[in-house]
Amino acid sequence: MAFGKADLPLARDASGRFLPWLVAFMVYLATLALVSSMIMNALVDRWDRGLADRLTVQIPAPSAEDEAGGQEARIDAAIDVLTSTPGVGGVAVLDDSEISALLDPWLGDAELARELPLPTLIAVTLSADDPADLGTLAVRLQAAVPGAVIDDHQRWVGGLVSLTRSIDLIAALVVLLVGLAAVITVVFVTRTGLAIHRQVIELLHLIGAQDSYIARQFQTHAMKLGFKGGALGFAAALATVYGAGLLLSESGRVLLPDFSFGPREWIGLCLLPLLATLVAMVTARWTVLRTLARFP
Amino acid sequence: MIRFEQVSLRYDTGPEVLRDLDFHLEPGSFHFLLGPSGAGKSSLLKMMSLGQRPSSGRLSLFGRDVSRLDRKERALLRRRIGVVFQDFRLIEHLTTVENVALPLRVAGQREDKVREHVSELLSWVGLADHLNALPATLSGGQQQRVAIARAVISRPSLLLADEPTGNVDDRIAMRLLYLFEELHRNGTTVVIATHNEMLANRFDQPVVRLSDHSAEIEDDSGDGETAGPPPRRELAATRGDG
Repeated sequence: MAFGKADLPLARDASGRFLPWLVAFMVYLATLALVSSMIMNALVDRWDRGLADRLTVQIPAPSAEDEAGGQEARIDAAIDVLTSTPGVGGVAVLDDSEISALLDPWLGDAELARELPLPTLIAVTLSADDPADLGTLAVRLQAAVPGAVIDDHQRWVGGLVSLTRSIDLIAALVVLLVGLAAVITVVFVTRTGLAIHRQVIELLHLIGAQDSYIARQFQTHAMKLGFKGGALGFAAALATVYGAGLLLSESGRVLLPDFSFGPREWIGLCLLPLLATLVAMVTARWTVLRTLARFP
Repeated sequence: MIRFEQVSLRYDTGPEVLRDLDFHLEPGSFHFLLGPSGAGKSSLLKMMSLGQRPSSGRLSLFGRDVSRLDRKERALLRRRIGVVFQDFRLIEHLTTVENVALPLRVAGQREDKVREHVSELLSWVGLADHLNALPATLSGGQQQRVAIARAVISRPSLLLADEPTGNVDDRIAMRLLYLFEELHRNGTTVVIATHNEMLANRFDQPVVRLSDHSAEIEDDSGDGETAGPPPRRELAATRGDG
């Protein structure tokens, strides 16, 4: 603006003090919701991708009446079936140390694991382009090695996927409600501003100010406050996420692998405070224009 | 310049404040708008300044039917009209210069280009020493002169003044009226609402008289009582039949 002082002293209104805080809370909540949904999606995606072409074949632990070498014979039979099945890429029997490493997060004491009767696990990699048919494989395996079980991890991943979908839905709902609350807040703040400065606005109107001239002052004001609050809430949310990450990694035994945002996630997150700024600006403009439309 | 055709005005569902106004003020004319308080002088000026829509009838300004103008056109038309409000309506947090420059600012002019012009006008109305004063520190008469300066700063084609001499003594009132006459001589159409008939009678100008909710044009105002010249031809106004 060419003139130093604004005609409408909006900067002195109480709105300048409380609107940024309200926007900050809202952006904080929305950012956390979005971050949770992003983390869950990335994890499920990783697990799903990592497990998609993998199977685990479980051969039950030898029972007391088994003759010596019975377990080895069963393992060999299973390997024969697996390697002779088209569409199976690789077969690897997990040795004791690998199994105890798997159990370590759950049982802790590796010594204990060695004394337990544990099933033998065979990790199977399917060829990516022409995976073996699981139904046929299961039947053949069962015939060769009674009690052998195929686990294609779908139960685990499937449960995770539906959990992620619910979290997505809740996150979307939170962002939507927060956006709605922001709109309502800005509408009321703007209406209050219009009421406080009604005399000045009427004067501006009467001396030939166009509606956009008056709306511009409100929208600039709302934009500044929205940006201030958005940046504050965003920074607080990021600090929270960072702090939570630190706490989790310090506690050591984390089931969740490390997670870091890619550029796509960062852009998505940075959009939130900008979106809050935009919503504040557009809402203020719309409110003012609607009010001015009633002026003669 | 201003043409009322069967114009009536009522606020909401109230009684008619003005009824069947039917008159025409020529471009370049000078009129006093007289009538007892409550007769509707302010309401009439409000309609003329596009601050109030008529309830019925047709009002034309600058040859254009105002009901057919869109919002932008009305805003642009308002910039050709200077209004001195009865209650001045100065913006409290702006200095004298800023208040007076407001119409220019609203019209999108740059401050550095108008400041000199504004200061010049303020010296002319005797406020050279109060350029950066806030309205609250000015006397009633000074505020009135600021309001008048603001109304004339953009050289309006039409100047409307609502009781512009209400807060000043007779000497200053006369000076202000001479200022309006000066503007009038430069081609501005002037309408001054006042309840002070004595003051109006000292000027030999036609009168729009409001009584009983309707308006009459009196072309022969000041007859006999003042030794002024006869009404100038460009001041002629058609007589209304309302």
